[in-house]
Amino acid sequence: MTEAAVWLDRIRSLPLPARVRILNVCGGHERSIAHAGLRDVLPPEITLIPGPGCPVCVCPEGDILAAIRLSQDSGNILVAFGDMLRVPANVRKGELRSLAEARRAGADVRAIATPLEAAKIARNNPAKNVIFFAAGFETTAAPVAAMLAEGIPDNLFLLLSLRRTWPAVAMLLDSEEAGFEGLIAPGHVASVMGAEEWRFVVSRHNMPLAVAGFTPASLLAALHGVLVQILNNLPKLENAYPAFVRPEGNLRAQSCMAEQFAGFDADWRGIGTIPNSGFRLRPHLAAHDVAKEFAEIIAGTAGRGEKMPPGCDCARVVMGRISPTECRLYGKACTPRTPIGPCMVSDEGACRIWWAAGQRHAA
Amino acid sequence: MPHLVGGRAAARGVITLAHGNGGRYMRELIRDIFAKHFGSDSSVDAAALPRFAGEAVFTTDGFIVDPLEFPGGDIGTLAVHGTVNDLAVSGATPRFLAITCLIEEGFEIARLERIAKSLGRAARDCGVAIVAGDTKVLPRGQGGGLYLSVAGIGTKNPGAPPGFASIRPGDVILVNGTLGDHGTAILLARHEFGLDGDLISDCASVAPFTSTAEAFAGLRFMRDPTRGGMASVANEISLGVECRVTLEETALPLHEQVRSICDILGYDPLYLACEGRVVAVIASGQAAGLLGAWRALPGGERAAIVGQVEAGRARVVLRTALGGERILDELEDDPLPRIC
Repeated sequence: MTEAAVWLDRIRSLPLPARVRILNVCGGHERSIAHAGLRDVLPPEITLIPGPGCPVCVCPEGDILAAIRLSQDSGNILVAFGDMLRVPANVRKGELRSLAEARRAGADVRAIATPLEAAKIARNNPAKNVIFFAAGFETTAAPVAAMLAEGIPDNLFLLLSLRRTWPAVAMLLDSEEAGFEGLIAPGHVASVMGAEEWRFVVSRHNMPLAVAGFTPASLLAALHGVLVQILNNLPKLENAYPAFVRPEGNLRAQSCMAEQFAGFDADWRGIGTIPNSGFRLRPHLAAHDVAKEFAEIIAGTAGRGEKMPPGCDCARVVMGRISPTECRLYGKACTPRTPIGPCMVSDEGACRIWWAAGQRHAA
Repeated sequence: MPHLVGGRAAARGVITLAHGNGGRYMRELIRDIFAKHFGSDSSVDAAALPRFAGEAVFTTDGFIVDPLEFPGGDIGTLAVHGTVNDLAVSGATPRFLAITCLIEEGFEIARLERIAKSLGRAARDCGVAIVAGDTKVLPRGQGGGLYLSVAGIGTKNPGAPPGFASIRPGDVILVNGTLGDHGTAILLARHEFGLDGDLISDCASVAPFTSTAEAFAGLRFMRDPTRGGMASVANEISLGVECRVTLEETALPLHEQVRSICDILGYDPLYLACEGRVVAVIASGQAAGLLGAWRALPGGERAAIVGQVEAGRARVVLRTALGGERILDELEDDPLPRIC
């Protein structure tokens, strides 16, 4: 019997209540859940809810519009993580609605997989401005900070759309109805920021939680831990990913991030402003800050109604309020080939993950 | 950047536009590198081929890879094996290749020779003759170093699999080795993720496996799971036959490093390319026989029965280790590493 099967057996033998809802906040977790088919094999009382785990999905429309506008100058090379190229913004007919469209129209837009590639492209193109549109959570912020700490070429500029995960969860828990009874905390984020960052879930909200890794066994172990806490009414912070996650996290990465970034109240697309949930560049990096160096070009893009496309329910999907299949566009107007909302674009997006795993109709 | 001028740059050991101009530099390049390592006759414009008995099978393929050299092969071996494998899985014995080299100005000649040499060796090992070729030089910045375009001709074997139309529910799907090795080795070789490993590409000829399979009368279909990997071949079968294809997660042979690297980066190994693998569909009664025959071949130790064709709506279903089910859909965009 595999380790995962052992945990599954243990979960099946628990005296579960009629309904128990567990939120995860990492696209990687949601992907592992879908890949392993966990929803098929878990007892029907358990509902696994994908929550705010997709940085591409919550990237403000203003940042996307700024990136598109910056790509229009032939002196600029715009680089971004691959997912970001496909995310559509709301624009008037005839205007460029995504970076992918800008590229097809002739802009020099390049997909990268790691921050170091951005620095490399800048060094290889000294006569151009290279603009790195960096969207991501703490797991992306850490390598971006490491790149900045190493020193970057003069011609590399950053358009940061980096977010912290826990403030979104705090916002859900502070709302009238959280909508879930337990939380699976993100393993990669916790490996950087430390498991302790999630203690507020227990101490302030009395909610059970466990940090999980990305294998079915690790996810099921964490789920079992959360369910037992719920059944015993003894919430605590559990770490089901101890091989990678320490209570204090990666202190070197944290201090590096603190040196390069300051926190600010950031916009989340379709959701609104969440206090202290974003990273922005500290003043010593002003010469590399798109907001400073290209202020005139991107003027008017920010705060331009951080809305999802009309009819699109991505915001409620991101916050775990509805499941992907409950959106009326899912699988009809909105598919990976013709995505309307960002959740159907990104490989971290719940809609895309459900679609790729074969979910074709309402669950 | 100014273009490199013939004499001085050539003396520095890099390709110049003059190497593609039809003159002396080009003649010397063909003589000293391509003709030497490919064993071909550079004095003719076109090759005369001997008369074949039976049907000729013809294919063409283009090769772009970054990096050009990787653990387990290079663009040269990839070009030979990729073309040879397309012929082999079609039930043909590969015989002749024609190769066009598109070289970017500034490419190091020593590196070109290294690749030409391994390409020539791979062709000899596969028993194919390189009978024609062409060289073009692209101005600097307009090419990725080196692209290869290959055409191949083979002769159809008597045991060639009949194809989709012969596949029936109940037929069994086999693969001759671990999945996703090439795709993962290439990822590692790009050194973009700070990950290391000693994984090597599976780049190889599958002809020994296809010819072994052709001895089985129940062989229905063969395909090499290159771009798009195992999941894409399973989708081709499912759509081609209009049947359900079920794969068993626990049966899929995966190298431990491929599994862990895909876990870290969020890739699905079932969609990553293989370059020395063949997927076969065979009547269920002969599956065990083919499995035994494949496992007895060098490199076939991890051959496995991975799934079957079933009656039902055309879709590919993976039965997971835990007993859940997941649809393996056709790829939409290129797979991307996770950023969360």
